[in-house]
Amino acid sequence: MTARIYKNKKAVPFFLIPAFLFMFVYLYYPFVQNIINSFMHIKYIGTSGGELNTPVLKNYITMIQDPKMLIALKNTGIMIIATIIGQVGLALLFALLVSNIKKGSGFFRTVFFFPIVISATALGLLFNLIFLYDKGMINQILQFVGYLDISTNELIDWKAEHAMFTMMTPVIWQYVGFYFVILLTGLAGIPQELYEAAFIDGGTKWQTVKYITLPLLKNSIATCVVLAVTGALKVFDLPWTMFVNGMSDTWLTGTYMYSKVYSDADYASAIAVVIVVLGVVLSVVVNRIFRQDADYDAS
Amino acid sequence: MKKATALLLSGMMALSMVGCGASDTATTEEPTTDTAAEAEDTTSAPEGGVTIQVTTTYAGEDTNAQNYKDAVAAWEAETGNKVEDSSATSDETFKSRIVTDFEAGSEPDVLFYFNGVDSNQFVEQGKVVSVDEIRETYPDYASNMKDDLLGASPADGVNYSVPVNGYWEGMFVNKEVCEAAGVEVPTADTTWEEFMDICATIKDAGYTPIACSLQEVPHYWFEYAIYNHQDAKTHNTLPTSADDEIGQAWAAGLNDIKGLYEDGFLPENTLTATDAETFQLFTEDKAAFLIDGSWKVGGIESAVDDIENFTVTHVPGMGNRKSTDEIGGLSMGYFITRKGYDDADKQAACVSFVEYMTSDEVVSKFAGTSVTALKNGAKPDTSSFTALGNAALEYAGSFTGISPAVQDNLNEAARAPIFGDMASIVKGSVDAADAVAEVLSIANE
Repeated sequence: MTARIYKNKKAVPFFLIPAFLFMFVYLYYPFVQNIINSFMHIKYIGTSGGELNTPVLKNYITMIQDPKMLIALKNTGIMIIATIIGQVGLALLFALLVSNIKKGSGFFRTVFFFPIVISATALGLLFNLIFLYDKGMINQILQFVGYLDISTNELIDWKAEHAMFTMMTPVIWQYVGFYFVILLTGLAGIPQELYEAAFIDGGTKWQTVKYITLPLLKNSIATCVVLAVTGALKVFDLPWTMFVNGMSDTWLTGTYMYSKVYSDADYASAIAVVIVVLGVVLSVVVNRIFRQDADYDAS
Repeated sequence: MKKATALLLSGMMALSMVGCGASDTATTEEPTTDTAAEAEDTTSAPEGGVTIQVTTTYAGEDTNAQNYKDAVAAWEAETGNKVEDSSATSDETFKSRIVTDFEAGSEPDVLFYFNGVDSNQFVEQGKVVSVDEIRETYPDYASNMKDDLLGASPADGVNYSVPVNGYWEGMFVNKEVCEAAGVEVPTADTTWEEFMDICATIKDAGYTPIACSLQEVPHYWFEYAIYNHQDAKTHNTLPTSADDEIGQAWAAGLNDIKGLYEDGFLPENTLTATDAETFQLFTEDKAAFLIDGSWKVGGIESAVDDIENFTVTHVPGMGNRKSTDEIGGLSMGYFITRKGYDDADKQAACVSFVEYMTSDEVVSKFAGTSVTALKNGAKPDTSSFTALGNAALEYAGSFTGISPAVQDNLNEAARAPIFGDMASIVKGSVDAADAVAEVLSIANE
């Protein structure tokens, strides 16, 4: 009976067609339409583009000369590096540590994963209060420990003086748990026999991590890095909640695109196209880097 | 069995999609205009049991936030209808939300919104109903208002909205801070130069002279700063170029704001603070002056313990602008959206709601010290006014000239080079004249 149902393929389209239609209507069609929109002149978002821009590549030419877009690209580049080091790096460290403890691993899994379930907007408001100028948590602590002069009410304007740090900290903090879970799952797939053999051969902890864990975890790390890079390219909600309108030159490609949606829809479409292109290119680059490593290791 | 289950599941999946589509069609299907025509005998008294979506700016620290809640409750009790309210404080975020709602087809049935260029988009797209069209079915609609003061749309000169209360903008003063710093409260005779000296003294005394978030709400200072280089007759005119007389006035005004920033008269975090943060400086006796609208009177009253410590006065003027030449007018009103009006179940309720909220009694309660479009004029009950309310009444009666806010002639996109990038202007990375040119470039697109 089981074999027969797998051989009979007649039911397959019933499952695939609705899902395909859903993907077509809500992903592929808007995606293609967005590319077309990036060449059109659209007066209001939601209205169809009446005519092509003059010149057709107007939005892309503007983008090259747009200082805010350059700031957004630079900041996004910084965000990508920060997410790779801060999110994937920390997640890897936490995963290695948690996989090496016998008691309390469940507790740490929950603690590290918890920020993921909180909405980005709520986190943004939370960190707004933490970094608040007057009566903010960090400034109060710094005054309490004497780093800031409480008699003159000396305060740090985190959103002006350390804007990128203030923006990236919650973003990194929120997603560490996500990559932590992926890497922990990858670690669970490594056969224990390899560690036992290394232990018998006198291998140290660091040597087992370097020569067993990291090479066998490479695919999981590559997945995490690709997700981190593409995620950094489109990150929007948390930075927008904390730094509305690119306050203190904190534009990211995602936030800059959104800021243009209601005032210049076709330009926003062009930015969205650039985000997708960058995402694809960087994903390919990351995959190439990890594949090169594989060839090197194999040799 | 498994095959049957598989077929059943796939069938359900397909049906659910069809179901979603059918549901959407049902909810978005617009009743034909015949429905409205059929309701020829309709009065604005609804049958009850109808729920309408309403969005206004009567929220947060708005003076009339509580009055609005009371009026909505009274209308609900009187008609048996319900209001799903999504009112919010008026700022650029609110305006973006409204635009998004309209574009996404989730606009409210009734909207209290700006009747200037901010609503051009809805007018041009036919998403709001004109007063004349409503009067075809409901002849008494807005009949208690002066038609020429309703606030015709700049898009086509047609009336779409019915105003409630007008507004004025003035400078609220924390008297305790002034006293502690050893300065007098500015008056109608205080010049701009004297005001700068007052600010310097307040700053030296360890207080913030001016509570203002340039990041979030630079609007009021922009308005008065450029007004100071114009007069009441010329203020409500857009420049034709950054080089003409008005364009130069705008650039000079922006440079005055830059001067305030460089002199340290604004909060240290003015480029990152929210309006709520700077307002808190003012109400907690850390800042002396706050330029805001007449709607802020109630916000201050509810935020402070001793309202006697607060008053409102004229923004010191320079050049041709007397300090008593102010910003004010009727810039907002109730719109009935096409979505709400063409819904046969909601039409009468929407009309009834607007008629109730713009009746002589309700408008008189909301108006306070501001102007109205009522034929009979507003009759505010001054017996319950606080010291600040009385000061506001006196202030509103001392204008020698009044001009609408010129920024209302610009849409959100055109305002962005100034209001969205004030930090760059005051820090000098963007020249004020270039910002004005950019505004005009977008406005003329």
